[in-house]
Amino acid sequence: MNFNRRNALATLAFSSALWLAGAAPAAAEPVQIQWWHAMGGALGERVDELVKNFNASQQKYAVSAVYKGNYDEVINGTIAAYRAKRAPALVQIYERGFMTMLLSDATMPVQDLLDQRGYKVDWADFVKPVAGFYSYKGKLMTMPFNSSSPILWYNKAHFEKAGFAKPAETWQELEKQLYAIKQKGISACGSVLAGDYHWSLLENYSAINDLPYATKANGYQGLDTEFVYNKTSVVSQVARIKKWIDDDVMQIAGQGLSPEQLFTSGKCSTYFASTAAHSGIERESKIDWSATYLPWEDGKQPRNSTIGGASLWVMKGQKPAEYEAVAAFLDYLAKPETQFWWVKATGYVPLTNKAYQLAKSQGYYKDHATREIAILQLTRGTPTANSTGFHFGNFTQTMMAQRDEFQNVVAGKKTPQVAMDDAVKRGNEILRQYEKLNKGRY
Amino acid sequence: MAAAAIEAGLKRAHFKDVRLPVLLLLPQLAILLFFFFIPSFRALGQAFFLSDPFGNTVHFVGFDNFAQLLQSATYHESVQVTVVFTLLQNLLTIAVALVLAFASDRVIRGRGIYKAIILLPYAIAPVIAGILWAFLFNPAVGPLAQVLHAIGLAWDPNRVGSDAMILVILAASWKHVCYDYIFLLAGLLAVPSSLLEAAAVDGAGPLRRFFTIGLPLLMPTMFFLAVMNFVYGFFEIFAIVDAVTQGGPAGATNVLVFKVYVDGFINLDLGSSAAQSVILMIFALLMTLLQFRYVERRVSYDV
Repeated sequence: MNFNRRNALATLAFSSALWLAGAAPAAAEPVQIQWWHAMGGALGERVDELVKNFNASQQKYAVSAVYKGNYDEVINGTIAAYRAKRAPALVQIYERGFMTMLLSDATMPVQDLLDQRGYKVDWADFVKPVAGFYSYKGKLMTMPFNSSSPILWYNKAHFEKAGFAKPAETWQELEKQLYAIKQKGISACGSVLAGDYHWSLLENYSAINDLPYATKANGYQGLDTEFVYNKTSVVSQVARIKKWIDDDVMQIAGQGLSPEQLFTSGKCSTYFASTAAHSGIERESKIDWSATYLPWEDGKQPRNSTIGGASLWVMKGQKPAEYEAVAAFLDYLAKPETQFWWVKATGYVPLTNKAYQLAKSQGYYKDHATREIAILQLTRGTPTANSTGFHFGNFTQTMMAQRDEFQNVVAGKKTPQVAMDDAVKRGNEILRQYEKLNKGRY
Repeated sequence: MAAAAIEAGLKRAHFKDVRLPVLLLLPQLAILLFFFFIPSFRALGQAFFLSDPFGNTVHFVGFDNFAQLLQSATYHESVQVTVVFTLLQNLLTIAVALVLAFASDRVIRGRGIYKAIILLPYAIAPVIAGILWAFLFNPAVGPLAQVLHAIGLAWDPNRVGSDAMILVILAASWKHVCYDYIFLLAGLLAVPSSLLEAAAVDGAGPLRRFFTIGLPLLMPTMFFLAVMNFVYGFFEIFAIVDAVTQGGPAGATNVLVFKVYVDGFINLDLGSSAAQSVILMIFALLMTLLQFRYVERRVSYDV
């Protein structure tokens, strides 16, 4: 709001100054486009820097980045603006909004746009689970931007004190370690539950252990997909988390306190969270921390994890010149150099193999080993139908239903099996509603 | 009797020309039109459609959205939670405000300071108030939660629904007590001191004077406050719930107005959200009508 008003005022002052001077520039005026994003705080500063770099790199176009609040606020703002026929050219939408945007009829495929404008983007070079998540019928629909994957953060001192070199690879062994740490009184809690635990501990758990989350290849093959995670070891995973919480091995930070603080303050020994937490943890923490892959089930061959984060959607209804500007900006974003800069600045993963190679060849991961974990985990093995990603309509809504039922387990009101059965039932009703609305459009 | 005559006189006396009052009313009416009537009618329309949030795919579904709500277990739960929350919040707010008003009415030295302190929470934004309470009672770091744990209470609003409910009620009441307090204090000031002095001469103690003289005279104020508290509990505690519990755990504090927000704003289920707000609106209308029609008649305004 303020930002907008300030911008408007500045523009007004500027243009009236020009008018007074009688020196309105003619054709040299760059094409302006708006990009709405959800990057607040330190990340917001990086976005501003990115845009500044692009604007300085040429004279024809000028991108202005507008912070519109969190992901929910950006998608709502976009919807409102679109309905009022004033949508910005480019919007950053979280990964769960993929289907909502895809079938909204309000966006245009980013691959088409760039191909038509003659930009040579090597689409096959995008990291598989990233491209897989944002593709539809083999075409990239939206420009991947900030992608991350959950990893396991741990307090090195706690593990060493308990006599472990590092966290174990499997859930079974890790559980023993966390209980040992607790019993020896080394830390108050073995782990802290992240706010987006459904992403790291249930969805990625399914992908890594190659478990079906829903039918139809997790929704990739049709809107008539149905959740089936109540028939897999997701149920025992929920039981495990519940047991940890009951035994005080895992803590819930709760409202008014960020879970990350419980980890960085040295209170809790591990933290299952996004690799994007790097920027925060590097800045905040006073502990000797490290990170490793998410655990897997004993006896399983671990698969790739899936991504979270957001991508940039191109909105319909812009002028041709504005699309030129959008295409130029997206092409700039896809460049390995830009990617590498962004990776260094934020902790998000490189989106293309070229960018990844560039980072490696410059020795970046030698000094920042933990930053490579997510990309190694994302590219581990060949993605299966269970690990490519999740294409569910109303995905946020089904996730909220699942979260509700998970809380019923933690509160001791339902058994893990009953709760997951109920979550699947509620989720499927939501999927059917989406199917009804979008029949024949996917 | 005299009061009634004066009131009638006031209504009649001014504004012989209608243009000035209409002009004065216009800004308020414009605000109502743009921020209440137009959105309400749009919500009413939306409630009968299943639509993609961008509005490009729209199906007319009749009363389906309403039918689904009435069958939905989560909606029933939300109604229950709202009723429990509103009643308890109402009781607690009025009771505490009454005690504070009664106590500070009797204080002579430094009354202004007490009043100022009691009124302070009203100046704090609901979100800040919510975060403050969430922090104080956070089981991991909250100082008040540590006190509860020390006396052997297993306090954990992150897991236990009833604890979360207590926390939201506390936060919401704390924020609203000052509102009730200022009205009740004004009400107490209006109690004729001659009556109180006469009772004192007859040997009635302060408590007795309060219950037999002060309280009955406060009834109209209390009735008004009860209505205002219901409105507050139903429509204005969104920010507090959002900051304290986000409707959880497991929907234990998912009051109707928060559910409307989550379903519309986060889940992007506009049809259901619109249907919910329509029901909420009808409910608010009915409640207010009922109260003014039947409850108000029983309130004695006689001195």
